[in-house]
Amino acid sequence: MKRLLIGTALASIACAGMAGAETTIELQRFFGACDADFGNVTDVSQAVGECGIITALVNKFEADNPDIDVNVTTVEWPGYDQLNAQLASRAAPDVVSMHYSVISDYQTRGLLDPIDDVLAAQGMSADVFTDASLAGVTKEGATYGLPFDNWTMLFHVNMNMMQEAGLVGDDGAPILPASVEELYEQGMQFKEATGKPYLVQILANETAAYTRILYTFLQQQNADFFADPTAIKLTTPEATNVVEMLKKIYDEGLTTTDMDYPAAVSGFSNGAGGIAVNGTWLIGDYTAQSEAEGNALSGGYTVYPLPQLFEGRDSTYADGHGWVLPKKDRSEEQLEAIGKLFKFLAENDFHWARTGHLPAVKAVFEMEEFQSLPHRDNIAEIAQTGQSLPPEVLRQFAIQDILGEEIAAAVHGDKSVEDALATAEKRVNDLLANI
Amino acid sequence: MAESYRRSRWSHALFVVPYLIVFLTLLVFPLFWGMWLSLNKVDLFGGAEFVGLRQYARVLSDPVFHQAVRNTVIFVAVSVPVLVGLGLFLALALNRKTRGAAFLRGLYFSSTILSVTIVTLIWRIVFIPNDGLMALIFAGLGWEPIGFLSTKGWSLFSVGVATVWWCIGLPMMLLLAALQQIPADLYEAAALDNASKGRILTRITLPSIKPTIMLVAVIQIVMQFQLFGQALLMTNGGPAGTSRPIVMYIYETAFIRWDVGLGAAASEILFVIILCAAMLQYWISTRKEEV
Amino acid sequence: MADRSAFSPESLTENRLLYWIAAGLAVVMLAPVIWIVGLSLKNNQELMLGTEAVFRAPYTLKNYADIFVNSQVFGWFLNSMIVAVGQTLGVLTLCSLAGYAFARLEFPFRRTIFILVLFGLAVPEQAVIIARHQMFNWFGLHNTHIALMLPGMSSAFGVFLMTQFFRAIPREIDEAAMLDNTSQFRIFWKVLLPLTMPAQATLGIFTFLLAWNDYWWPLISATKKEMFTLTIGIASSQTNFAQSEGLGFLSAQAIFASLPVVIVYIFFQRHIVTAVSGGAVK
Repeated sequence: MKRLLIGTALASIACAGMAGAETTIELQRFFGACDADFGNVTDVSQAVGECGIITALVNKFEADNPDIDVNVTTVEWPGYDQLNAQLASRAAPDVVSMHYSVISDYQTRGLLDPIDDVLAAQGMSADVFTDASLAGVTKEGATYGLPFDNWTMLFHVNMNMMQEAGLVGDDGAPILPASVEELYEQGMQFKEATGKPYLVQILANETAAYTRILYTFLQQQNADFFADPTAIKLTTPEATNVVEMLKKIYDEGLTTTDMDYPAAVSGFSNGAGGIAVNGTWLIGDYTAQSEAEGNALSGGYTVYPLPQLFEGRDSTYADGHGWVLPKKDRSEEQLEAIGKLFKFLAENDFHWARTGHLPAVKAVFEMEEFQSLPHRDNIAEIAQTGQSLPPEVLRQFAIQDILGEEIAAAVHGDKSVEDALATAEKRVNDLLANI
Repeated sequence: MAESYRRSRWSHALFVVPYLIVFLTLLVFPLFWGMWLSLNKVDLFGGAEFVGLRQYARVLSDPVFHQAVRNTVIFVAVSVPVLVGLGLFLALALNRKTRGAAFLRGLYFSSTILSVTIVTLIWRIVFIPNDGLMALIFAGLGWEPIGFLSTKGWSLFSVGVATVWWCIGLPMMLLLAALQQIPADLYEAAALDNASKGRILTRITLPSIKPTIMLVAVIQIVMQFQLFGQALLMTNGGPAGTSRPIVMYIYETAFIRWDVGLGAAASEILFVIILCAAMLQYWISTRKEEV
Repeated sequence: MADRSAFSPESLTENRLLYWIAAGLAVVMLAPVIWIVGLSLKNNQELMLGTEAVFRAPYTLKNYADIFVNSQVFGWFLNSMIVAVGQTLGVLTLCSLAGYAFARLEFPFRRTIFILVLFGLAVPEQAVIIARHQMFNWFGLHNTHIALMLPGMSSAFGVFLMTQFFRAIPREIDEAAMLDNTSQFRIFWKVLLPLTMPAQATLGIFTFLLAWNDYWWPLISATKKEMFTLTIGIASSQTNFAQSEGLGFLSAQAIFASLPVVIVYIFFQRHIVTAVSGGAVK
């Protein structure tokens, strides 16, 4: 009887505690839904892929903090139409996933809250994050989002075909170009030996890929194309160099043509070409494929940053994913809960890095688990060489679309290189002048 | 008393009132609001600043908008006759009482029920290089592959194919209905005259359904001017903007660039273009009839 | 006079050649659908290595099973049903009433109002969506079923169609009723409306399809996941670059999302065909 009473008392206390103190965080993100496979996984190390890992991370956080309920809404990538609608009707969620490149758009309109105090309350400071990732979220001296990762375009290499083309060094590493001339030479050599194009690029229904490549090689030439963040400068010899290079790659048949994003991804899987120019997020899939038997990548896959082709400096255009706080009134409890969540996400950034993205937390690079992940030593330098656009540049998604469209026009021969660059410059500056 | 429905009465308008309320609040009022926005420099989160007709000047001097108008007009000029012509052909071919014809009618209509995401998914998988159905067919026949979604000209063509495939059901059904309504005595007279099939088609069948053909054309003009989803999802307007329709231009300016004023101005221009095209068509077709 | 019973206008208009061409073209209609059904029955990893795997066994239902593991799918399905049915009933009611008056009654400014309504056909959704969003915001209507149903009810197409249908009904029918001094509404309700049933079926199916497949408005109005429609929900659960990750899964989702409309269509198909044949679009 006594035991029963105590039991009841304990139970009621627990219930009261639960009911009274439960704080809810509305979290809205892309990365998809995968409750089928990971809905109940709290052991994060069991999860794979962007969707799986973020789902397991949230599960684990909720398990560790029974007084906090994270209510996750997944939205179709990238989810900004929805977010805009919510902001317009003042019904934004508490925490939202956001690309670094668009944070400025919302921050300059006063739609985001800085997170510095939230981090400070958890005893965290911004200097745990890498410079590359911090650059993406720091605006006007304040931190407007929790950096989660950095991603860039990479050279995904089919070693089996590189071997066939004689482009593998004695150390077993692929021989990659160190200049534009070498790129053409090695590309021709590859094409002659294998009969396949050297590069697998995304050229249809897509604008992002070309733009990221342009930014990368402009940075490598130390071209300060956004010296004034409200006006791009593209009618320059540096920009012409890059686009002419892309055009020559296309004209000489050194790249696959006509592939849209999914086609390019599966094309590389099937040995359609030697090197896929694509993002960090594919490392996991391709690595898994190379460990399986009987396909084009079996036992022959590696990955490197985009090579330094221009004298200047080694640099790669980088963007990344962060977690931002839309402006709204929040209770102390909510802010504390969000702080705990952010601290948890930062502490577990290694798990997120298993997706292929580069960690945003410096310490992860030192972790043995991270270093032992396949190919990560090849690309770790991006934490230093990765560079985003100046934080003041607004409408980066829209700019990307314009640049990609015009570069593609030049590469496909629909316009001259000069004309395309001049048009791109004019369109971007018209856009920026009218904000 | 028998003629009361012919007498003009305010009370008769009561039947129209419920719809008119919805029409005015959810279409007319927002439309005027959109006109107001088009006179402002404003983003998605307000902060309007009156700029008069400047947004219209910007739209009308934007080469990208010119290209979008050209693309859209070409698209409409090609797809509408194809939809009406093919619809008419199918209606004539399938206007019979056999099970086979019923099955085919159902089949041709069935694609209409799919959503645009699914339609474009299907056709993307048909048109993509290497893995696509067309690529497999071309490879099988030993033909040079075509970059259907990434080559100038072909990209708009591919969007058009998907659109015709998706939209053919409605014109066919409306025209079939009209065919089945032609009074049998017209044909009886023709049978007595021993008129040839070709003559019956051009002298009886086509003139009888002419109003429906015109109606179908107006509906299709209005619908195809609003091309959006197929282009966005299949080609993203590319390459070099050669498959970007006007609505996609509006979407990009208003929702990607947050340049709502500019987008609103472009929408108003599109509204006027559609209105003119539809009225022109409607005027031609109903000159002799009562509206 | 020709023998009426033996006479068939079809013998004068039918053309065997046309028919067989139409039958041949059906292959073009069908091939993409068969292709995507095939993809939906394949393992994703296998497809990633090449879609020609469609032509080989093994086939699997796993892609379909995966859809149902997401417990929210049924809620989204229910939302879509409520919205599509609600919007359809609304459109049928409003458009029948309006179509009847425009076609058969006389009232001041009838022609002007009708032409104004026809102007509505030309309004692109983009021209009104921002204002609509703001208006629903004033009344706190977002994330409700009503908000998802209402905009579709302003469509001028239904009024246009119903007016055409009502106009085709012979005048004698309601003139007879008029003689009995029946009220205007009774004539509409008891005499004419039953005659437009086929037309109602046609407009109903079109409206249902539009509501079911609507994308943009639900995307920005129903932002809470409990309120997602099936179209939005399914899109939201795709990973960033799902097309490459799961062609099979994506195809299965596409087929699953279309299934309810396919069923509605098959069920009502007979009505559509007779609708248009018995009804009267002239």
